[in-house]
Amino acid sequence: MSERERVRVLSVLVEDGPNTLSKISGLIRRRGFHVRSISVGPSRQAGRSRMTLTVDSGHAETDQVRKQLERLVEVIEVEDVTGEEVHSRELVVAKVAPSQVAGLVERGAKVLNTGADGTTVEFAGEGKDVGDFINELMQHGVVDVARSGPVVMRRTA
Amino acid sequence: MILEALEREGVEYIFGYPGGANLPIYQHLPEHPKLKHILVRHEQGAAHMADGYARACGKPGVVFATSGPGALNLVTGLCTAYMDSVPMIAITGQVNSTQVGRDAFQESDVIGATSSVTKHSYLVTSIDQLPRVIHEAFHIATTGRPGPVLIDICKDVQMADAERITPERLEIPGYQLNGHVNLDGAMAAAQAVANAERPVILAGHGVLLSHAEPQLREFAEKAGAPVGTTLLGIGAFPVNHPLSLHMTGFMGTGWNLKAVQNADVLMMVGMRVDDRVTARLADFAPKVKTFIHIDIDGSEMGKNVRPHIELVADAKNALETMTPHIGELHEGRGKWFSQIDAWREEHPLKYTHSNGHLQPQDVLIDMYKRCRSEAIVVADVGQNQIWAALWWNYDRPGLFLNSGGSGTMGFALPAAIGAKFGRPDLPVWCVAGEGGFVMTAQELSVAVEHKLDVKIVLLNNFSLGMVRQFQDDFYGGVRSQVDLTHMPDFVKLADAYGLPAVRVDKFEEIGPAMDAAERTKGPFLIDFRIDPEANVYPIVPLGKSLNDFWEAPDK
Repeated sequence: MSERERVRVLSVLVEDGPNTLSKISGLIRRRGFHVRSISVGPSRQAGRSRMTLTVDSGHAETDQVRKQLERLVEVIEVEDVTGEEVHSRELVVAKVAPSQVAGLVERGAKVLNTGADGTTVEFAGEGKDVGDFINELMQHGVVDVARSGPVVMRRTA
Repeated sequence: MILEALEREGVEYIFGYPGGANLPIYQHLPEHPKLKHILVRHEQGAAHMADGYARACGKPGVVFATSGPGALNLVTGLCTAYMDSVPMIAITGQVNSTQVGRDAFQESDVIGATSSVTKHSYLVTSIDQLPRVIHEAFHIATTGRPGPVLIDICKDVQMADAERITPERLEIPGYQLNGHVNLDGAMAAAQAVANAERPVILAGHGVLLSHAEPQLREFAEKAGAPVGTTLLGIGAFPVNHPLSLHMTGFMGTGWNLKAVQNADVLMMVGMRVDDRVTARLADFAPKVKTFIHIDIDGSEMGKNVRPHIELVADAKNALETMTPHIGELHEGRGKWFSQIDAWREEHPLKYTHSNGHLQPQDVLIDMYKRCRSEAIVVADVGQNQIWAALWWNYDRPGLFLNSGGSGTMGFALPAAIGAKFGRPDLPVWCVAGEGGFVMTAQELSVAVEHKLDVKIVLLNNFSLGMVRQFQDDFYGGVRSQVDLTHMPDFVKLADAYGLPAVRVDKFEEIGPAMDAAERTKGPFLIDFRIDPEANVYPIVPLGKSLNDFWEAPDK
């Protein structure tokens, strides 16, 4: 199976508890999966968090990732959105040289702050766009960069 | 409050060991005479006792241990129960909630250490959580696919005063029992078995856990399909039934493996289809056109073998739903039965009777005669386990207990003790090799203290027999670190613990020794000094397919 086929994108609703993250990460390790990206934040429901996981299923059958996560009591709902029509957004925050700013803003970046040691910009988009954005930064000697994992939501029909 | 909650859940026995971080619980234990506490000699023994208790009587086994080393000593026992889906509640003491994370005396991250070997676990840092947690824990441990649940309770919570709180209504959003039931394929599955030319059913522990033995028998008889069992499924189908294929897997019977490897439809019910069942996965049941998999745990579907028809439900529910859909049977069925009969004659279970040494099979055949299908037999792990499984002759379910998934040496003695507490009405026999026996032999004190009728059949071959056999056959014949010549004199050891014992070296002595064991009230040990070269057959060489099984050599 190709690497592309092995990777699942999952939107997971979980209990917001002290054990949740370690149980999920422990399960992923034990079953031989591998996390490509993870993002987590509060959900609309009190006491519950929404997690977006991108997981490589390794040598296991790909549907095992969802099935094994569903076995955890801390996990309330798992939605496998791999290959679905989704909004998938990532965020990058970068500190760049002042000479770059104009070009980046033209691409859609937003200036967060300008200081003596550089200008901080943010850019949000699909994973590929964020990747291209970072590649361009790299060519011009970026000072510092931080990138989030994707946050995913199914497109409404 | 913890003890009241346990009473409310109907707990009768607790297997435990006190220590610094669970002393508040023990302080109040004498106020609860309905809770009978069994003081073990090592926490691993407590976990196996609770496990044996649960396997024998179906109720969850309850374990107490203190923090740090006490709790960590449970890990092997928790894993054993987890792998075999046994309901258990482990209540461990934890350091004060304000000390957690400060590397306090006897502090350890018990949740972290046990997460992968428990069905669920809780760290309780506030008294408000406690009634809900205990009630939930029992629910989770005993329902669906059962398993051990651990509750780690901080010491200050154990001491906290609280109003007597009745547990809230159960509301566990992440644990929905019926959410995953799927019986859509029931009709197709029943028809596939009926229409098959060469059907085979394999039955696992799930059949026993859902008490689906009568449903399995009815389905198999109506569908005219032969039934084999996994090691943990032993008892799910009567071995003397004409449709029985006995045990499957890499140490299963020859006629079973022949049937599996030639089947065109294979229905696997209440089992995980693990590597011990399939041997080399790529060559497992190669002629099967339709794999049917039935299990209560949907994650088992396609984990090892991708089924063509999958039913996610407990075995009883699934079989009851399927049976009415059995239509006319394939006309080739008679030929299939004759073929299986021919394999049964061609590949019988056999062993060498008369080479001057005591043979383990002779010991077990005598024991099973005395059991008359109504004693619990608990086996340890290794050659003794497989011999005890293959020479099993019961028509009744649920009386053969062993550590199948985890393969935990040292399981048998404490599990047999637990089984006797769970089913005091039944005789209990413990079959073990000397290697595994000494791993938990300290629990003999518990058997003596409570005058438990547990008969210990020690199959003593002065070596780690299964490892020795693997080294002989699959690792170049190099016998490395398997010699157990230096072991205690087991008759003297038994005497030191305060139970009677005899030694048996000859075939003629088996009967009288067994008679003495049966006559004696309380525990009894027989040190059977068996043929040190006795091997387990059939066996599939490591990494080979089920087709390649070796049989006992003709001597």
